[in-house]
Formats: sequence, structure tokens, C-alpha cells
Amino acid sequence: MLNYFIKRVLAAIPTLLCVLLFLFSLIYLLPGDPASVMLGPRATPAMVEALNKSLGLDQPVYVRLGHYIWAILHGDLGESVWSGRSVSSLIMSALPYTIVLTLSSMGLAAFLGIILGVLAAINGKTIVDHLVTVLSLIAVSVPDFVAACLLLLIFAVRFRFFPVIGGGKEGNIVDQIHHLILPVIALSLGWLGYIARLVRDTTLEVLDMDYIKVIRSFGAPNRYIAYKYALKNAIIPVVATIGLGVGKLLGGAVFVELIFNRPGIGKVITDAVFARDLPVVQGGVLVAALLFILANLAADLSYAYFDPRIRYE
Amino acid sequence: MTQEKVSLNLPRRWDSYKRKSQLRIKKIAQIIQAFRRQPRGVIGASIIAVIFVCALFSPWIAPFDPNEQDIANRFAGSSPQHLLGTDYVGRDILSRLIYGARVAAVVSIGSVGIAVLVGVPLGAVAALNGGAVDYIVILIFDVIRSFPSVIMILVLAAIVGPSLLNIILILAFTSFPAYGRVARAQTLWVKEEEYIMGAKSLGAPTGRILLSHIIPNILSPIIVLAGMDLAVMIMWESALSFLGLGVPPPTASWGIMLKQGYTYIETAPLMIIWPGIVLITTMLGFSLFAEALRIALNPRERDPDE
Repeated sequence: MLNYFIKRVLAAIPTLLCVLLFLFSLIYLLPGDPASVMLGPRATPAMVEALNKSLGLDQPVYVRLGHYIWAILHGDLGESVWSGRSVSSLIMSALPYTIVLTLSSMGLAAFLGIILGVLAAINGKTIVDHLVTVLSLIAVSVPDFVAACLLLLIFAVRFRFFPVIGGGKEGNIVDQIHHLILPVIALSLGWLGYIARLVRDTTLEVLDMDYIKVIRSFGAPNRYIAYKYALKNAIIPVVATIGLGVGKLLGGAVFVELIFNRPGIGKVITDAVFARDLPVVQGGVLVAALLFILANLAADLSYAYFDPRIRYE
Repeated sequence: MTQEKVSLNLPRRWDSYKRKSQLRIKKIAQIIQAFRRQPRGVIGASIIAVIFVCALFSPWIAPFDPNEQDIANRFAGSSPQHLLGTDYVGRDILSRLIYGARVAAVVSIGSVGIAVLVGVPLGAVAALNGGAVDYIVILIFDVIRSFPSVIMILVLAAIVGPSLLNIILILAFTSFPAYGRVARAQTLWVKEEEYIMGAKSLGAPTGRILLSHIIPNILSPIIVLAGMDLAVMIMWESALSFLGLGVPPPTASWGIMLKQGYTYIETAPLMIIWPGIVLITTMLGFSLFAEALRIALNPRERDPDE
């Protein structure tokens, strides 16, 4: 296990370096002179020069790349061009919202998905099975931003069950949970369908194995077999999927965060993209990519932990 | 002597080819039959067909010009004249939805097409060459895939600015590694086959082996992947247009319509409901189609009596 762990961690390093390189070169990919693009058409030459200096753009490329990586290694992601706040503090204040949103969405999706999936598998080829299959297909087919729009329309604008926008008052947990419910439903819907489907298929496969037949021949009831014996093996791909999902949602909750106007890392990045606030874009994308890589790594490792065959490939 | 041998062998070889192609046609016919037996597959295929027909023939199907404004009639509900109502400047929602299919079709086919054309040869070449080339190509794939796709697409869209061509290129850029990976894995599998060795021993150049022996044999999983990706690309086009980073208005796009509906969510719910329904139906159509295709292609699930 340790060998595998070291191998996977080392394999992530070149990828990470290339990510850094890409983010660094982002400034050259922008059309036109970066400083004047960021400052807009009304910038004076003096302002442009000052920004160039503060971003270090007047130095040669290799010096800047060195500085960039050195700063990141020290946790310094630069400062926002507009507000002057440090990028890391901007991200740190948004990150908890995104993490709570992601974990609760994925948690809800996994919880309901596993129950529905097993239910469909033990009732194979009956009305329950068909219902779960069809519902999961529908759930997978609803894009999260469409779900968010429609939920907002129905439950917040029409019936006023839930607040329309925002992340809730700071410190008021009940209010924050109240603000969390609709976004969580919007985000978890697709994953719920996906996980239910996955659990159904893998459970069906496992239920067909010899060791289950042995237990069954001892007269154990179906439900007992499913939850106590089959689920343990059926759940392995689900664990990996949850890891991947968490990684994707950490950076991918953008639309839900925007539609419900919630603070979060996706919103920080999009706002910065529209304001052409390059340091914030770079920092935000770096953090999102890092979380994504970490979540993927965790998913891989958990897979190897649960399924020893993977380790020896 | 050798003359005789060749003339003896050729017809036999021809027979085996004929037999093989007959078998293949029979297999395809079986798959189509298995597909048609499933109601979901038929429903999915019909939804997709309706969308592409709308995209191809929108000027003839749409009752109004999608950009024709009728301010006096803004925010109208459904009526015989405007079946799905009108939006905030009095444009006919149904006509705009029909024209929106055009953008969706162009973006999805364009981006998937480019992704396949770039990714498949790249993956195949990497697998054939191995060594440093393989390592570099995999690294490129990994780096592109290590960004959460949402953010990658957002940042690229902001860099190059909104236009139809740019969205197509961005979506192709973020999705070609998936095709490359599949092509690479398939090629690794195929390249050990005897017919490749045979072609090599006859002195066929690498390019020819790639084009006429490897690519045709790795294509089927790629076609399935591409079919599923069409739906994903339609979703991305709408998502980007929703953010204002996609097709620039006043072009009719489902994402733009959803965004405008979001703006007027308090006053005109129809403006957000219709594009939402159309998007969900489209996605559902593709999921149903893919599901039925998967079952039809899988011999274990194909036969219900098994």
C-alpha cells in the first residue's frame, strides 16, 4: 500500500508543475498588453506602468516564473488588482462555503443513491427496479444550472419556501442551512442518479457471485444479504465516484453558486474572470485544480485500499 | 506452380471475406433490432431526430423570425398565435427555441468532430511509438484533465472572448484528451494483433498501418463516446451562453434564453420554464438513446430470455 501511495503521489507532481506553467502563461494568452487589458481603455500610461511593475511584468520571463513558483510555495498567491486584498484571504473566505456545499451535496447523493440502488437491485426486474432506473436516467439528464433555475423559480419565487439568494447570515447556522437546501438539491440531483445507477449495476453483479449463493443457501433473507454482504463489495466503485465527484464539485459548483448568488470559490473565479483580475483568476484556478488533483488522488488511493488487486498492477 | 497456388487460394480467401462481411451485416441487423425492441431507445432517437430536424429546417418550421420584436406584446402567455408566449421584447419563444437547436447542433457536432479528429490520431500515434512520445502525449492529456472542466472552459472562454467558433474550439480543446486516452488504450490492444504484424512484415509504412489498419479497428468505442459527448457539448454551450461567455446575443441560444428568463424570473416564469424543459428533454433523449444503445451492443443484455 505504501509503495502504491508513493508511486501515485510522485506521478501527480509533473502534472502539478504543468498546471503551474499553464497558469503562469495565462498572462501571455490574454490578447493585448496584460496591464492595459486589466485596467481597461481609460488607463493612463503611468497606471499601466505601475501595474506592470507591481505584477513584476517588467522583468524577464524566467525571473518571473521563478518568482511565481517561489511565491506559491510560500503560500503567497499575490494580490487582487482591484481590491488590493491578498488572493489567499479572498479564497480562504470563500472556500468553506464551497466545501460545505460540495460535501453536503455529495453526501446526500451518496446516501440516497446507495439506498435506491440496493433497493432496485434486490427487487430486480420489478416495478421498483424500473422506477429507480427511469428516475435515475431523468436525474442524470438534468444539468445542474437548469435544475437550479427551475428550483429557484418553483420553491423560492413562486412558493417562497426558501430564501431566493445568498449564503445566509454569518454565525446563524439555521439561516445558513435554510440557504443551503435548494443549492444542495440542484447539485446532488445528477450525482444521485449516477450513483443509484452504479450501485444497482454493481450490486446485481455481486449478488450473482458464489459467496452470495453460499450465504443464500444458508437461508439468509434477501435484504440481509444485500446490505450486510453484497453492499461491501458493490460499494468500491461508488467510493471512487464520490471522490471524483467531490473533486469536480469543488471547482464546478460555479453555476449553482452564481444562480443562488452564494459566496464560493467558483463565484470568486468567475467574478475575477469578468473583472479581468488576473492574480485572483490564477490563484483561484490553482486552488481548484489542486483540490481536484487531491480528490482524484484520494479516490485512487481509496480504490486501492478497498480493492487490493489494483495495488499490484 | 506458384501461379496455380495463387489462383487456388484467391477464391477461398474471397469466400472467407464474403462470409465475414455477411456475419458483420447480420450482427449490425441484430443490434438494430435489439435497439428497436426497447421503447426508451425509440423515444430517445425520436427526440434527437426532432432536434436535428429543427436545426436543419428552422426557417421553415419556426412560425416567426426569432429576432422579430413585438414590444406591445411582451411577456405574453401562450396563445394560438404565440404557442409558448413571448419574451421581454416580444419575441416568439417557440421560434427562438427552434432556432436555438441550430446553435446546439452546430456547437456539439463541431466540437465533438474536432476533438475526435485531433484526439484519436494523437492517442494512436502515442501508443504506436511508445517511449518519450507516449509519455509527453499522456502528460498533455493529464494536464488538461487535471483542471476541473468547468473552470478550464470558463477561463479559456474569458481569454478568447465569446463567439460561435471560439466555443467550438474551447470545447474541443477540453474534450480531446478523453478521445486520445480511449484511442491510446485501444491501439495498445490492437497493435499486438497478427494482421498488424502482417502489414508490418510486408513493409507497410507507419502512416498506412495507422490509417488503414489501426484506426478502423479502434473506432467503435470512440463512436459511442462521441455520441454521448454530443449531449454534454449541448449542455456546455448553454451553460457558457448562460454566463454570457458563449454565443453573443441576439443569436437565439437555449442558454441565452435561460439567462434572460433568470433575469425576469419574478415577472415572466414562462421565459425560464420553456428553455429549461427543452434542455432537460434534449439531455434525456441522449441518455435514453445511449442507454438503449449500450444494451443493444451488449450481447449479454441483448437477449431478454437469457
